[in-house]
Amino acid sequence: MKKINKLIALLGFIIIASSCQNLEDYNKNDKNISDETLEIDFQHVGSKYQPIFENILRYDPAWVYQLQQNLNADVYAGYMTNPRPFVAGANNTTYALVSGWNNFIWSVPYENVMGNSKKISKLAAESYPTLNAVNLILRVEAMHRVSDVFGPIVYSNFGSIDNAGVYDSQQAVYTAFFTDLDTAVAALTADIDSQRFTAFDMAYGGDYHQWVKLANSLRLRLAIRISMADPSKAKAEGEKALAQPEGLLATPADDFLVHSSKPHPLSIIDNSWGDIRMNASMESILSGYGDGRMEAYFNPSDANGGAYKGVRGGLPLLPGYSDELAQKADYVGFSNMNDAVKTSNAQLMTAAEVHFLQAEAALRGWSGAGSAQAHYEMGITTSFAQHGVGGAAAYIADNTSVPANYVDPVNASNSINAMSTITIAWDNGATNEEKLERIITQKWIAMFPEGQEAWSEYRRTGYPKIFPVVSNQSGGIIDTNLQIRRIPFVDSELSTNTPGVANAVTLLGGADNGGTRLWWDTGNNF
Amino acid sequence: MRKTKIFLVTAFLFLVANTVLGQNKNVTGTVTSKTDGTALPGVSVTIKGTTRGVETDFDGKYSIKTKVGDVLLFSYLGTKSQSFTVGSSSVINVALEEDASQLEEIVVTALGIKKTRKSLTYAAQDIKAEELNRVKQTNPLNSLSGKVSGVTISRSASGAGGSVKVVLRGNSSLGSNQPLYVINGVPLSNPTATQPTSTFGAFDGGNRDGGDALSLINPDDIESLTVLKGASASALYGSAGLNGVILITTKKGKSGSYRVSYSSNLTIDKAAYFMDFNDTALKNVNDFFQTGTTAINAVSVSGGSDTAQTYFSYSNTNSTGILPTNTMNQHTFNVRETMNMFDNKLKVNASVMASSQKVHNRPVSGLYFNPLVGVYNFESTTETLADYKTFEEYDAARNIMAQRWFRGTSDIEQNPYWMIHRNASDDTNQKLVSSLTLNYKLKDWISLQARGTYDVSKMGFEKKIFATTEATLAPLTGRYIVKDNSVTKLFGDLIATINTKVNDNISITGLVGVSSSNTKQESFIGDSGVSGGLTYANVFSFQNFNGGSSANFSQNSLEIQEYSVFSSATISFEDKLYVDLTARNDWSSTLPNGNNSFFYPSIGMTAILDKYIDFGKSVSFAKVRASYAEVGHPFGADLVSPYNNIAFGGGGVTPSVGAVPGTIPKPERQKSFEIGTEWKFNNNKYGFDIGYYNTNTVNQYFFVEVNATVFGVPNAYLNAGEIVNNGIEFSAFAKLYDTDDFTWVSRINYAKNNNKINKLIETNIDGIISLNSFAIDDPGATNTFGSYLTVGGSFGDIYGKVVKKVEGLPEVELNPDGTVLKIMQQDDDIVPNLDFIGNSNPDFTLGWNNSFNYKNFSFDFLIDGKFGGKVVSMTEAVVEGKSNNSARETANGKVDVITTAGVKTQVDATDYYGKLGGRTGFTGEYTYDATNIRLSEMAIGYNFNLSEDSFFKSIKASFVGSNLFFFYKVAPYDPNITLSTGNNLQGVDVLGLPSTRSYGLNINLSF
Repeated sequence: MKKINKLIALLGFIIIASSCQNLEDYNKNDKNISDETLEIDFQHVGSKYQPIFENILRYDPAWVYQLQQNLNADVYAGYMTNPRPFVAGANNTTYALVSGWNNFIWSVPYENVMGNSKKISKLAAESYPTLNAVNLILRVEAMHRVSDVFGPIVYSNFGSIDNAGVYDSQQAVYTAFFTDLDTAVAALTADIDSQRFTAFDMAYGGDYHQWVKLANSLRLRLAIRISMADPSKAKAEGEKALAQPEGLLATPADDFLVHSSKPHPLSIIDNSWGDIRMNASMESILSGYGDGRMEAYFNPSDANGGAYKGVRGGLPLLPGYSDELAQKADYVGFSNMNDAVKTSNAQLMTAAEVHFLQAEAALRGWSGAGSAQAHYEMGITTSFAQHGVGGAAAYIADNTSVPANYVDPVNASNSINAMSTITIAWDNGATNEEKLERIITQKWIAMFPEGQEAWSEYRRTGYPKIFPVVSNQSGGIIDTNLQIRRIPFVDSELSTNTPGVANAVTLLGGADNGGTRLWWDTGNNF
Repeated sequence: MRKTKIFLVTAFLFLVANTVLGQNKNVTGTVTSKTDGTALPGVSVTIKGTTRGVETDFDGKYSIKTKVGDVLLFSYLGTKSQSFTVGSSSVINVALEEDASQLEEIVVTALGIKKTRKSLTYAAQDIKAEELNRVKQTNPLNSLSGKVSGVTISRSASGAGGSVKVVLRGNSSLGSNQPLYVINGVPLSNPTATQPTSTFGAFDGGNRDGGDALSLINPDDIESLTVLKGASASALYGSAGLNGVILITTKKGKSGSYRVSYSSNLTIDKAAYFMDFNDTALKNVNDFFQTGTTAINAVSVSGGSDTAQTYFSYSNTNSTGILPTNTMNQHTFNVRETMNMFDNKLKVNASVMASSQKVHNRPVSGLYFNPLVGVYNFESTTETLADYKTFEEYDAARNIMAQRWFRGTSDIEQNPYWMIHRNASDDTNQKLVSSLTLNYKLKDWISLQARGTYDVSKMGFEKKIFATTEATLAPLTGRYIVKDNSVTKLFGDLIATINTKVNDNISITGLVGVSSSNTKQESFIGDSGVSGGLTYANVFSFQNFNGGSSANFSQNSLEIQEYSVFSSATISFEDKLYVDLTARNDWSSTLPNGNNSFFYPSIGMTAILDKYIDFGKSVSFAKVRASYAEVGHPFGADLVSPYNNIAFGGGGVTPSVGAVPGTIPKPERQKSFEIGTEWKFNNNKYGFDIGYYNTNTVNQYFFVEVNATVFGVPNAYLNAGEIVNNGIEFSAFAKLYDTDDFTWVSRINYAKNNNKINKLIETNIDGIISLNSFAIDDPGATNTFGSYLTVGGSFGDIYGKVVKKVEGLPEVELNPDGTVLKIMQQDDDIVPNLDFIGNSNPDFTLGWNNSFNYKNFSFDFLIDGKFGGKVVSMTEAVVEGKSNNSARETANGKVDVITTAGVKTQVDATDYYGKLGGRTGFTGEYTYDATNIRLSEMAIGYNFNLSEDSFFKSIKASFVGSNLFFFYKVAPYDPNITLSTGNNLQGVDVLGLPSTRSYGLNINLSF
């Protein structure tokens, strides 16, 4: 009997013993990482950069990039278009804006860039000012794109509980961008040879000189953007960028590329899914100019006897096709992108672009800009060099080639004549308007495949003259010839921040739709 | 925490202090029922002429101190009393004869406590093995449909080995709405590995059903099954019992000579109930499916001495599905040993159940990785689908055997034969439950029980996707996916049971106990992904992963610890009035520190009316009952884990999603109330039971959308909501004929549940909006079937894309050539882009079960009806959108429409339905009434007459059929099938495996 008592007592002990462990000690997923462990190697700060780098242009999964940028800006820029008329042809590209897609333009940066950026600022602003400086540059690069899509955005009040969800006007956001760049440049130049960022740098190997060049170039890009909306601020910021001693991105070695180990999302969207092809506007301009970059950017189309062939943007589900896939079958064989432009190194800003920015700055008479012609030609040479294409000198001298008419070999009704007769060679006697068209047209070619900046510059200047959509399903809200000006505020904001959006619409100064011009989009170039 | 420890220390001291005195002659024995040989607990054993007495325990054992010449009186409700004079033997075994005039049923209740049915203060319905297994199913829970009121069973569309959805008294939780399963008193770990959540289908291997623990149980091991429908019955299980409890009692050895039972069951399954295809398409479809077979063979051995009994069983299930190449093989072993030691003072019960299940090509639903998309949409005037059984051909450019198909493949459509051979999958599920129970009788009035269980579930999945599979799903070199989940649960409890008579009129049965439950969940995913893929084509191993970043390697490990203290008391007043009280407190590691303690009380009362009121001869039994309980529901450990997630291949770390910053997560909480009454008439020939219940569940844990500009994340968890369920459950039986040669027993089970959502998300936190709707299934832009909770709506409300009707005709915009440009959509309620089209739950369910016995023949049939509710056939929409295989898409068919200009006209059927359908089609037009009445089970059996000296003790053979035909059904598929046994995808069929009609033969032998 005693034995049994002991046995039961023992069982009691076992239960008591097991209860002594504190409940807090359970329920921890030790395959993942605690805040404490994360501090090793300063990863509590460092680990937050990679999501920022990889979400300015979202790498993975590819369909998120497809919705973040590819099925809006990349198409609106005239760079690419979808051979499959998604949603039976009623989608973004035909101006039947799909709010479920466009949410990603907003959510990707807010969920991946802004949150991490704020945490870095909190951890590093005082103790590691250069780490915070790089963070500020990246944040400006990520968020000016968002503002360029929507107009007013939440920037100065991000993460604030007191001013939760309060938008800044686009003018205020741009001012904040310039201030952030001031802070960044000051911090970096104060400790320019520090190697603190090397382990986390996915662009410049921790070289702060390069980061200052990027900050200056970004400042010039933003200054040019607001050159008509706020000319005096633009000139002041532009000249500040031109005067900064570290200089600007000047050669292809300076290009701002994110070096990720992940494949470029375009490679999956294009190669695996066949969901994106060359845009007819690209074919018209590159083939009209006999541009050597055609081969660097695209592959010839077997379906068109080895010719380079693009697809018109804004195709509806055309008559005669039973469904989207039947139509896709006819267009998927058109030119797709060369693997060279969709390597893992996502291109966000190039030296070529900066030369064209300088050319325009010169055109606008900003001091320190140098010669418009010299920078225009340098822009072309730099772009050719970047892509390893020869023949730049002959190309620069070509004063006869003009954009070509576009022929759709499958559905003739989509064929369209070229919209412009602008030539390549610089003409000092031309009007400023013509000079600007020349600069922006060449900048547009050079910036490929970065559609976001190309679309913004198209809206600001109206150049290059790309083809309008075949089908406009906006119900008269978006003008076919003026083309789409912005994307409406997203559903997630409408549902969780209704008062914020209402105020943002007031700041926008027009209806919350795709036809309203942004603050910097004045409709005038001079 | 402190409370637990004080209690435990007290309990421990109490144990140590106790001593046992030995005296007199000890008489022991077992009291059984003469009718069926089962042990009878709670039999009163008294020494005549004294007040001394004991009761038999749960296993019918007793032990009493007495002396030679004393007369022992055995009395038990429902049986005739017997007396024996104590002689030289110290063992007196008694078999009590049933007394039909006072039939008493014993019901197993929470924690394994056996109670007389009449004393229950809540609704409980039980079902015996014979009834459950008459027409055997590979998942025994599927056999419950129609046999117990208020239990809604939906079987998974994943074929043999699939999981089952059981809902008791409606849905109330955003977590699981499945009941708790308890085997022999111990909660069973029933991890649902994976359930489909999207109409499109899972990109990482298709919409698959990962199976459940129930499908791993040998149906032949089950002795009985008790359904405790409401929280009152399950309050003793605390947080886990919110959705009711199903108690499973397994067989154990019986003393006596060894008895061997063997049962063999062979059924053939035929695909039935397709959508309305045209003749050519139907021929291809019929050609594709094969006749399935299921063989279940089970053998069991039972026997032993008075002190030790053994039960051993082995079963083997071999099934080939109606989907070609789909097979399921399952083995189960079960050993259960019961022992009585130290003069029957100590009872030991040890058992091990082990099972292993392998499923090849478990059918999936949805559009990704589903061969049925190709089967249903194949169309050709020159070829048949069978021509594509040769699913690959040589591709000289790659020197590879490449997929061939009659047109270009797409993300959702490939050659189905390619898919079953070259996108094949294997599921391997294993389960081990071992338990040990020690029960020691300290005194006549108190016994102590200690129990421990070690319960392991392992669920593995492997998919090999060969090169030249469609590019969205796999890169050029193919793709390899491996997923492993394991759940290990350690459970222990210690319970003191007290039986005491306060005086002649009042007796108390009570218990106090503590328990500890530790669950460790571990998972592994290895997926080579869709970009880098594999280095060398068609080699499926981790070393062949191409390092691409869309590859995914991840492991997770979570441990949950729960402690509980509980007690209950049943006070009986003259065996006429019973009061039931329970209390339980849980401490859980999944709740935040400082707020991790929760208390659950219940109270119930029942009165035996016929003992108070004389209803006359015709009323043989009458009682009323009422009870109230509060229980809670925890949430998953991953929701409060403080760790940061590491993304494979680099990508930084992300904090795990938790509660909205500044809020403290709480468990869901349910308050439930029920009343009921039970009557029997004419010597228990007829009877009925009717009950009403009302449950109010609050604090559902919503995954709410939060403002990214405030929180930097898109979603977080928030307690909110209020969902009310109320309803009526009714069951009745009648012994319509009861003669020596012929008996006919008929039973009816009816239940109706109303569900109403009173509140969803009400909050005044900045950046979170109060919401009147919440998506269970959000189709996004890719599909058009949605399920939303809305304030004022019900759980299971479904939404679809609805055609705008003008003057009853669909409104269309026409092209100049008269073809349809666009069908106009109506969209006028709270859910964006979709409109309300119905609720997927039935208004009421009705089962009618009949058993006939004529001499040696038996005949049973079950008619199972679900009335009301709506279902959507996205299958039809997809087929009409992708092909012209629907019967109504005929070349010369016409459809009446009205144009946007208001002109009534006709358009071609192929054109109209082609645009109506598709994966983003007008689901509103593919919505059907889910009402269906079916002949769910039928069995004709014969019991062979055997001579006394025959080797066999019994032989029974029966022809069985299940799901034989529908008396009524309008939906183009079997609405009793569900794509998911979770909360998603209710009331929709997206190319799920068609339901089967099964016939078979059962043979049961014992010797």
